[in-house]
Amino acid sequence: MYLNRFVNGEGKYVDDIKFDNMLYMSIVRSPYAHAKIKKVKGGLNSSELKAYYTGMDHAMREPVLAIDEVNYVGQCVAAVFSENRYESEDLLNSVEVDYEPLDAVSSIDDALKKPAIHDGMKDNILDTEDVGNKFNEKDIDYDIKVSDTLFMDRISANPIETRGIIADYKDNVLHIYASSQSIHRLKGGIMKTLNLKDGEIVVHHVDTGGAFGLKALIFPEYIIAAYASMKYKKPVKWIETRSEHLQAAHAGRGVKADITLYAKKDGKINGLDGTVYLDTGAYFTDDDLVDLGNAMHEVTGPYFIENAHLTGKYVLTNKALNGYYRGAGKPEASRIMERMIDLLADKLKMDIADIRIKNATEKPFKSPLGFDINYPTKPLLEAALKHFDYYNLSKKEKLGISLFILDEDTAPGESCRIIVKNGKVTVYFGGDVSGQGHELFVQEMLSEEFKIDKDLISLDYDDTNTLKDGTGTWGSRSAITHGSVLMKTAEIIKNDVIKKFGKYDKDLLLNNEFNEYYYYKIDYNANSVNFNMVSCNVNDMNSIKIYTYYDLGKVLNLKNVLGSIHGGGLQALGEALSETLRYDEDGQLITNNIADAGLLTADKIPQYNIKIVENNSEFPDKAKGIGESTMIGIPSALARSIELQTGKRVTKFPIDDLSLFNKCME
Amino acid sequence: MMVNIKVNGREYKKDIEPRMLLVSFLRDELNLTGTHIGCDTSNCGACTVLMDGKSVKSCTVLAAQANNHEITTIESSDPKLDVIKQSFVEENGLQCGFCTPGMIMQTFYILENSEDADEEYIKKNLRGNLCRCTGYKSIIDSVKKAEERVKGEINVSK
Repeated sequence: MYLNRFVNGEGKYVDDIKFDNMLYMSIVRSPYAHAKIKKVKGGLNSSELKAYYTGMDHAMREPVLAIDEVNYVGQCVAAVFSENRYESEDLLNSVEVDYEPLDAVSSIDDALKKPAIHDGMKDNILDTEDVGNKFNEKDIDYDIKVSDTLFMDRISANPIETRGIIADYKDNVLHIYASSQSIHRLKGGIMKTLNLKDGEIVVHHVDTGGAFGLKALIFPEYIIAAYASMKYKKPVKWIETRSEHLQAAHAGRGVKADITLYAKKDGKINGLDGTVYLDTGAYFTDDDLVDLGNAMHEVTGPYFIENAHLTGKYVLTNKALNGYYRGAGKPEASRIMERMIDLLADKLKMDIADIRIKNATEKPFKSPLGFDINYPTKPLLEAALKHFDYYNLSKKEKLGISLFILDEDTAPGESCRIIVKNGKVTVYFGGDVSGQGHELFVQEMLSEEFKIDKDLISLDYDDTNTLKDGTGTWGSRSAITHGSVLMKTAEIIKNDVIKKFGKYDKDLLLNNEFNEYYYYKIDYNANSVNFNMVSCNVNDMNSIKIYTYYDLGKVLNLKNVLGSIHGGGLQALGEALSETLRYDEDGQLITNNIADAGLLTADKIPQYNIKIVENNSEFPDKAKGIGESTMIGIPSALARSIELQTGKRVTKFPIDDLSLFNKCME
Repeated sequence: MMVNIKVNGREYKKDIEPRMLLVSFLRDELNLTGTHIGCDTSNCGACTVLMDGKSVKSCTVLAAQANNHEITTIESSDPKLDVIKQSFVEENGLQCGFCTPGMIMQTFYILENSEDADEEYIKKNLRGNLCRCTGYKSIIDSVKKAEERVKGEINVSK
């Protein structure tokens, strides 16, 4: 059981693994946000390893090691190696790099004004994309229109375990040990970049000390370590320092939106249009498409809005690349809508709940932006308002609310292997667990299904041989995907017992050997409906009260659920109030350590009023998702509670107004 | 340089570089990998251990400074530490487990040095340990449970 291992210090995270003759890798990184490289002498540099690492081919991909220029502080320029960890850091000084600094672009606004950072481009717009039905405002029925600009600054994922990898090339096979949400995706990325064939690489999953979206990605450092291991025929370990993490780990959010709502006097919204910008950082990555895609497609959220059109702009800046962070575009989309609907309510002097009821739907609906509302949203909204006695409570507390759809990324499904041997049941998932405690629900579900003690069941780590195929752990999917494939695989094992012995009982299972693999395919996203309410007194950080009304379908394990709500709840407050990465106008990162990055501490925890409803989903395990819900629902509701007290509309996150919450912001 | 450091009751004499950090000494020289490195700037507390009973962040203490001192880590078999560990398991005071050894060692320090640690006191004394998964609530519950048990045992023995 992971809990027992971890409390005894017996976890095996990647930095805990040692091999004989192992080399430690350190990276020479750019100190400039933008510069020409006139010379690099020493270390492993791009004169030898000239490669690009993204999954998709794109003209503006990042080179694994900088070629002739650097475009953000922290970009990989060269790598050095030593059998001693301290000496490998010493060797950083042995590499000579001559830079010629250039003007840098450090924000979306900056990028829209300044010349292109990349040669051959006319401006800093990497790509433009349109979604929805383009409409002329003359053609829609409205009495009032409201416009505003919203901005959600960048956030670093900051798992307490930073990124890390061991590459061990032996007997013509590259073995990778990594802290990861998806070893299968990592395998594909390394194979593509280094032109390896299936059979030449095995990726092993190890204990992962938090991930939050970031560890679903592939990074240049991983390619360098893999290449170096093949070159030196030795194991190569790279463990990121926190400073490197803040500088170079792909950052989330970084979204700006100019939005207009068109509505009738009674609050009915008939149109939405505008532009959404994503700060992609210095180069293209595949995750840009997911982040801005979600941030655009999901904007109309739980509301029935028949005309909607958005233009998306991918904006290049001299900053580290964009990446996933808990929610990956979904919190941004919801926050845009919820902040706009509050503005509309104020203009129309309507209650913020009434205007949401007016626009929520009573039937499934596909939005013009392409977002599926699979469940009616109005019944849940009304039930939540009633449950918390909103209309009376709003006379006493400064309440903000948020209605949203959680778009669980269930497609394309997930894989599982169950092995029964020596009286024990071992489970492997293709979507790699990154510290959420999946073993709890695995034990709970299988002990019920197999009628055996929980202690006989464990969740173990896979490698890309144990499971040939697998997806990942992200997008609030695990309760549905991992839970469902577990049920399906357990069914197959039970049928094996019945086929062999004519009946099922637990002794027949445990006294024999079984081994089954199954990939449960899902070709659509579930999209559950949820509600948050937040109140606070802006003079007291400990006054923040979070009300959650989440439809989780069948709860697989209550500890998992509460862990997600309490953990995500504080992360959402951090995102709303203090967490970000700050750059000066030259693109220098001025967030120096994990405390500066604004992570909240134990004395900042809010009060919770949690209501869970269980409207079963149609998946085999009847569950719905939860992982990203807090990040979607809480910040906008908190923003409303704050602006009711300060009288200043909140359009920028984090809401780092120094007058708020006394010491929290200092 | 030669150092003599007692770790979890056992003495280790080692020839080390003067610049070696205590956390590297524990992890790399003694293979006690339960103590983790989360930030290397003494902000996150993943590397918290006890030095002569005081909690220190071992990423900002030199092994040389620990010479002739006594270090306690998560691998210690102190019975009171076992009570704390059990409480963290029961209250689900961890998810990914990476901050956990530091949290538990800081809890050990809190319970050893306070007669009556109330919730405010616990929160204040956990401020130097960051957790990204749990939102601290289950950790605080774990500390409270451990405290009740430790006190209970003292009362029983009286």
